[in-house]
Amino acid sequence: MSKKQLSAVFVKMGDKVPTTKYDPNVNQDELIMKQQRLIEKEIMDSIPLVGDKEDFSSLEGEYDGDDIYKQKVKNLAKNYKYIRRTRPDGNCFFRAFSYAYLEKLIDDREEFNRFRELAAKSKENLVALGFPQFTVEDFHDTFMEVIDQVGKHHSVLSPGAPAGEDLHKVFNDQGNSDYVVVYLRLITSGQLQRDSSFYQHFIEGARSVEDFCHQEVEPMYKESDHIHIIALSTALGVGVRVRYMDRGDSAEVIAHDFPEGSLPQVHLLYRPGHYDILYPH
Amino acid sequence: MSSTAPSQRRLQKELMSFLKEPPPGVTVDSDLTGQDLSVWIVHMDGAPGTLYEGEKFQLQFKFGSKYPFDSPEVTFIGGNIPVHPHVYSNGHICLSILTEDWSPALSVQSVCLSIVSMLSSCKEKRRPPDNSFYVKTCNKNPKKTKWWYHDDSV
Repeated sequence: MSKKQLSAVFVKMGDKVPTTKYDPNVNQDELIMKQQRLIEKEIMDSIPLVGDKEDFSSLEGEYDGDDIYKQKVKNLAKNYKYIRRTRPDGNCFFRAFSYAYLEKLIDDREEFNRFRELAAKSKENLVALGFPQFTVEDFHDTFMEVIDQVGKHHSVLSPGAPAGEDLHKVFNDQGNSDYVVVYLRLITSGQLQRDSSFYQHFIEGARSVEDFCHQEVEPMYKESDHIHIIALSTALGVGVRVRYMDRGDSAEVIAHDFPEGSLPQVHLLYRPGHYDILYPH
Repeated sequence: MSSTAPSQRRLQKELMSFLKEPPPGVTVDSDLTGQDLSVWIVHMDGAPGTLYEGEKFQLQFKFGSKYPFDSPEVTFIGGNIPVHPHVYSNGHICLSILTEDWSPALSVQSVCLSIVSMLSSCKEKRRPPDNSFYVKTCNKNPKKTKWWYHDDSV
C-alpha cells in the first residue's frame, strides 16, 4: 500500500473512534505526523526493502475469497513463476526496477558493459543540465560501486557468496539502497528536463516540467507514475513490462511496455500504488 | 560502501565544499561546525539592493542521522530574525524544500541560496498573517508543522 492510501485508511479508522474529538490544546499537526510515522515504522519493521523470491502461490493466497483477483492471478501465473516484493515506501518502482535489472545483469555480461558505460557517463549529463556537481557526485559514486559489485562476478570466480546474495544484501542496506533510488530519481528528472517539450504533455495543470521534477521526481518517497517509468526506461535504454492488476473487468492482467515497443528486460507487477518484481517462466 | 554513517560522510563532504565555494554573502561558522557536524551555524548577509541590505542574520541547520534522505531542520536564530511573509518571529521558515519538496540532491549550499532568493524577492517587510497564533502553538521543531505552501511569488 502506498503512503497516501495508508493515511486515508487512518482517517477512515479514526472516524469510527468516538474519543477523537478536536482538542484545541493539542497540536493536531503533531498528532497526524506522529500517527504517520507510526504507520511508516510498522511497515519498516514488517516488510524488508526487497524481499525473497516467492512462489506465485503466495500471491494467490492474498486473495482468498476474492474471485476477480484470484482469476487474474491465475492468468498471470501462465506467464510468471515468481514474485519478489518490495517495501511500499513510495520508492518501490525505483527499487524494484533497479534490483530486477541489476539481477539480470549478473548473467548478461554484454548488457552489463553497455549499461556500465552509460551509467559512468550519466553524471556529466546531469551536471551539464544544472544539477549540483557535489551532490550528484556523491550519489553517482555509490551507484557505480553497486554496479561494479555486480560486475566483479563476471571477471573472477568470486570466492564468497553468489552474486545474487550480494545484490540482495546491498539492496537491503538502507544507506546503499536509498543511494541507488536517489540516483535513479535524478536520472529520471534529467531525462524529463532534457526532453521537456515532449513530457510537458503528460503533466496536468499549469506545472512546468522543472517544477514537476522538483516536487514529484527528485524527493524521496514520492510515488512513480507512467511518466517516471517512460523517462527512466528511455534514459537507460532498458525495457520494462508493467502488468497492471486492478479491479477492472478483464480477467487478463494488462501489460504495458516502456518505452513502447521495446523488448522487456524487467517485469513488474503494479497494484494500485505499488510495484513488485515478477519473474517470467 | 564505506563503514562511516552515510550522514557523517556526506556532511564532511558538504562542509569541505561549502568552505571552498560559499554562496555569496553566506559563511559557515567552521569552528563550531568542525566540532559537531550535526549542527551548523551559518551567517547570512542581506543581499545588496534588497530590503534586507546591511542586515545580518544567523541560520541554524540541524541534521538527523537520516540526512540527506531526511531534510535538515533549518531556522533563523539570534537577535535579528528577518521580517518576511514566510518567516515567523520564532525563526521558523515556510519553504517547501525544507519539508515536502526536500530532495537528497539538495545541500546546505542550495538551501542557503533558496533562502537568499526568498528574502531578495520580498516586496514588503511583514510577518506571516498567522504569526502570533503559530508562534504560540507550534512545536520547537519546524519539521513537525504540516505546512501549507502558498504564494510562490515571495
